[in-house]
Order: sequence, then structure tokens, then C-alpha cells
Amino acid sequence: MTSVPVPDRDEIAPARRARLWRQVLPLALLSPAVLVTLAIVFFPMVQTAWMSLHDYVLFRPKKFDWVGLKHYSAILQDEVFWISLRHTVLWIAITVPAQALLGLATALLLNQKFPWRPVARALIIIPWALPSVVIALMWAWIYDSNYGVLNDLLLRVGILEQSIPWLANPDTALYAIILTLTWQGFPFFAVMILAGLQSIPRSYYEAASLDGASSLRQFWHITLPGISGVLFTAILLRTIWVANSMDVIFVMTGGGPGYATYTLPLYAFLEARTNLDFGYGSALAMTFTLLLLGIVILYLKRSAKAVH
Amino acid sequence: MKRTISALSLLAGLAPGIASADSTVRFWYHFDNPENPMSDLVAKFEEANPGIRIDAQNVPWNSYYDNLYTAIVGGNAPDAAMLKMFALPRLLEMEALEPLDEMIAGWEGRDDILDNLFDLTEAEDGKHYYLPVQYVALYLYYRADMFEELGLAPPETCEEFREAAIKLTRDTNGDGKIDTYGFGFRGGKSGHEHWGAFTLGREGVALDDSLTSEAGVAGTQFVMDLFQKDKVFPPSAPNDGFQEIIGAFKTGVTAMTIHHVGSSNDLVAALGDKVAAVPVPECGGGRWTTFGDESTGVLSNASDKEAAWKWISFLSSEGNNALFNSATGQLPVTKSDSASWDQHEKRFVEATQASLPFAHLLPASSATPEFVNTVWPTNMQRALNGEITAAQMNEAIAKLFAEE
Repeated sequence: MTSVPVPDRDEIAPARRARLWRQVLPLALLSPAVLVTLAIVFFPMVQTAWMSLHDYVLFRPKKFDWVGLKHYSAILQDEVFWISLRHTVLWIAITVPAQALLGLATALLLNQKFPWRPVARALIIIPWALPSVVIALMWAWIYDSNYGVLNDLLLRVGILEQSIPWLANPDTALYAIILTLTWQGFPFFAVMILAGLQSIPRSYYEAASLDGASSLRQFWHITLPGISGVLFTAILLRTIWVANSMDVIFVMTGGGPGYATYTLPLYAFLEARTNLDFGYGSALAMTFTLLLLGIVILYLKRSAKAVH
Repeated sequence: MKRTISALSLLAGLAPGIASADSTVRFWYHFDNPENPMSDLVAKFEEANPGIRIDAQNVPWNSYYDNLYTAIVGGNAPDAAMLKMFALPRLLEMEALEPLDEMIAGWEGRDDILDNLFDLTEAEDGKHYYLPVQYVALYLYYRADMFEELGLAPPETCEEFREAAIKLTRDTNGDGKIDTYGFGFRGGKSGHEHWGAFTLGREGVALDDSLTSEAGVAGTQFVMDLFQKDKVFPPSAPNDGFQEIIGAFKTGVTAMTIHHVGSSNDLVAALGDKVAAVPVPECGGGRWTTFGDESTGVLSNASDKEAAWKWISFLSSEGNNALFNSATGQLPVTKSDSASWDQHEKRFVEATQASLPFAHLLPASSATPEFVNTVWPTNMQRALNGEITAAQMNEAIAKLFAEE
């Protein structure tokens, strides 16, 4: 009979300790980030949910009365909520695809070989790198009906007879801001897609062209599948960002004229910050969060899959 | 949570105290003028008052009150601040202000403050929480050269105003496009001052239920007609703010607008003698214009209230008040500085003084800030763009004031 050497106790302990350490160390390293996230993201979220169930007007700080779901039922009756919701849907449904398509076209162009390509790739990021407030002010001047360059150009080439107050006309204001945001956001898609394009091996294209595949078929069967992962993640992320973005609208029109450029985050912000009604403002923010949750869950699932 | 915030603010408040025995007065103000003399005023004050340090912060006007209210609730309010009367009811509800009556009574500069200003700034409870620092009254600016060219006289009534505005709206270079509009209307925030001049002067009309009366609705309708039927406002009017109305007037895009003496130097620099001023026209049997008040106050959380008072009373004293107003472009509140005032052309100071008899403050109500910030602009913009009627707009405003 052969005997199996049994490690003595003193040898087991360090091995176990090392294993335990390996398990605990990541948690220990992650915990500061988790704690900070809990403090600055999760805690305010819970607080918002709690405030949305109370009457809480900031200039009456002592009055904090429980009202249950009163604000939520008021929201359903609120004309401005429905106007804002419709604008939010339009805002997302036009801006994100427009940014994605423009970004795709730009990425395909930047993936070609041409002189000064690195410079072009660096320049394209400028709209994305500029602060939103600067972009909003710049475009507000472009659209200005008295001195704006857009009206001036259109009048000169004879497309317009009279200058149009793009931001003061309720029929054009929202679309004018959508164009601004498209301009601001398309470089993000361009850069993401460009990275995706560079990860597709050249050999695929060589093999396809040997088989006689046209450029369009190559794009459809090689390029698109190759960047689909990046594109999907970018669209999900961008949808969440665009949905929440209100700084450009706030600076360009403040929601006006009337309610013509109100979106839900802007409405929640104005209620809470300008009218100081934190109860109703919080309920609006919570409602919007619930509406957006579907997209957020989709994104989280996708990130989880990527981790595994 | 409140306890945490208070503890944090206590720590924040203690920190400078530990570092130095001197007291620091945190002062919030809002100046648009880039030539800001605040550092000169601070240096002068600190020299005269060793031991008190002034930390003056210029907070942008558009979010001034949003920031102030949030800072008060967050426990991080300044020790003293520039304040307007419309904010007083809210600030009192928040118990954020220190009564100044005792300090004013013992202040040597008291008798130098213009006569009726302490009456105007008295709170509903009879106390004084504000110390006046500047004032203006809004009047009508007009292009004297264009009026002369068309043989028009400055309008005395709403009807004359409308007639003049229609005549002044014209294509001056024959290209088929309108180059000059009769009136630059402010449809964005603070434009209630323009609307008020056409609406609130009418007999029996005020910011309450009377707005829904025939006379009240007629006022709003008058404004809407000027835009929709007579087309005497630039098409951008619904969104236009201060920069736009002044810019358009300076460049000849508009021939009239309403503002106060604060913009007169800028307009004279651009237009010289071509710009003149008269009180706003009489509409529906009366006149109404905005009294633009500005005071300073000591906040109840101030760590050294005496130091804060010393600083604000310094700003309303002879000489200092003149320097302060040379930056804001408004008028001094001291008798001595008013007597020697030469910072504005005489015709604009006269138009201001002629407007004082019918210059009004907005109602002392908690609803007033909401009226100024959101209810008036959104409803006016919707009315101008034909989304709601004049009656609906006035009802929305009357409802807001009835709720409070």
C-alpha cells in the first residue's frame, strides 16, 4: 500500500489564507468605488423616490407632508407632462438614429486611406469635446433671426424670403435643437464605430473580393456584423444620455417658446430648481426613470454578458 | 439627512473661524457689467474695518435666486446678499432674513436714504429686512430720429403707441423685407414688465382675479394683436430676452422698447442723440410701470451679523453707493449721491423720475417668483404663437395668485 503524503496543518493554512485573500482582495479594492456610488448615486435616488411621495416645496422647508401617490396621479392629468413626453420621444427617436447614421458615415470615411488622416480623426472629435453650454450658445447665434448666419445664408441663396426665428417658432424650435445635438453627438458614434471597423481583419475583405463580392455586399456581410456589437452598445448608451440631456435645451430656449421644447428631464428640473417644488419635480423625475428603465436594463444585461 | 447637512455646514462654517479670528462676510451679488468695481469697494471697506474680510461673489443673474434658495436650504447661504422685493415673502417664509430695524435706527446714514424707499421696502409684518441699494423705473425708449423722419410724436396712449409702431415697421431699403420693427417686445423671462405696461395700468386690473375681467383680457389681447395682426414685433419676440431687445434697438432693428436707465449709457454709445425716452403710454385709463428695486439684506444664518450689517450699510452710504451704481448703471439711493449724479444723461434720469408716480412693485406673494420665472413666460409665448387665447393666459396667472 502506498501512502499519500498528507500536508501538515502548517502548510494548509497559508494556502487557505492565500485563497481567501484572493477572494477578499477584489472586494476590498472595489468597496471604495461601491461606497462612493452608493453615496452619490443610490442615496439621492432613494431620496428622490421618498420626496416624490411628499409635498415638499423648498421655500417651505418645514412642511414635509406625506401625500402618497398624489403627485403621480397629478402627473397623469398634467397637460405639460404629456407634451413633454411626446417631445422626449421625438427627441430620442430622431437624435439617436441621426447621430448613429452620421457617425457611421464619418467612421467609414475616416477608415479610408487619405493624406492628413490622423488630423481629420483628431478634428472630428471637436464637437464632442466642446462643453454643451458653449455649443448651445454658438448654435443659438447661428439660428438668430436678426443676425444669425443660417438665415443670412438661406436668404442670400434665395431659399428663404423672410428670415425664420428658428428658436422662437414652436414648429421649428425642437428640430433646431435636435440638429444641434446631432452635431454635438455624432463624433462619439464615429469614434466608437471607427474602433470597431479597425478590429475587422483585412483578410475577410480580401477573401470576399476574391469571391467576387461587391462593396455593398462586403459592407452588409462583413462590416455591419463586425461593428454590430459596438453599434448596439453605443446606441443604448447614447439613448440614455440623449434622453437625460437637457443642458443644450435649457441654454438655447429654456423650454420655450411656451412648452415647445419641454422634455421630461427639463420639466422635472424646472419644477424642482426654478419653481422649487421638489415633491412634484421628484415625482416627474421618478416617472421618467421608470420609463427609461427598460433601456437601462437592456444595457446592464449587455454589460453583464460582456463581462462573462 | 438634515442633521448631516447641518453638521457639515457647521464644520464648513467653523473652518475659517479656526484659521483666523477675523470674521469673514460672504456676500452674494449680481453685476452684468464686466467693469466690476466690487474689489475697489471691498478694499476700501477692509481698510476702514480691519478684522472684517469680505468674500464677494458675483452670481449670474439668471440662476441667482435658484442658487440662493438652494444654498439657504442646504445650510450654505451667504451672510449678506443683494435682494429684490419679490423674493421677500419666500425668504421670510424660509426664516432666512435678519430684521434690520434696530441697526437702521442706530445708523448715521439713515437720513441720507431717499424718502420713500424705506416705505417701499417694508415687509408685511411692518419690519425692515432690506436696505435699499439702488433703484430704477422702466420707461419707453424710442428712436427720436425715426419719429422725426415720420413726423410722429412720442406716444402718450396705447392707441398712439400702436399707430406709431405700425408706421415705424417698414422696409427701409426697398428689398421687400422688413428692416425695422415698431417695438422690441421681451417674450422671455422678465418680459412681464412689457406686458404689465400694456395690461396692468388698465382701470381695475391687477395681478389677481381682475385679470380675467374684460379690461384685463383686453390688455393681453392688445399685446397679442401687436404681434399677430400688426406684426410690429420682430418674429423672434417670443423668445427674446434682455440681450436681444437691447441688441435689436441698438442696431435699428426696432424703433421702440421698454427698459430702464441701466441700459442708457450703452444705447447712447451706439446711437448718440438718436435715442430718447418717455414714460410708458397710458393704456385703458391708467399707467403702470415696473419699479425696479434692489436692496441688500443680512441672512439669519450669518456668523457675524454685525460685520454683515457694517458691509451692507457701507454700500448704501454716500460715495460708496455712487461707485456701486456706476457699475450696475442704476440710480443711487442716497440723497447726497443723487444730487451730484452725473453717470447718466439727464433725459433718462428725468424719464425715470417722471415714471415714479405710477411705478409699482410686483405683489408680495410667494407666487410672484413662479409668475416671473415660468408662468408668465410660458403662457405669453403660447399666446403669442396662437396656442392659447388672451383669456386663457390671464386665467392661468390669476389662478397662480389665487392658489397662494
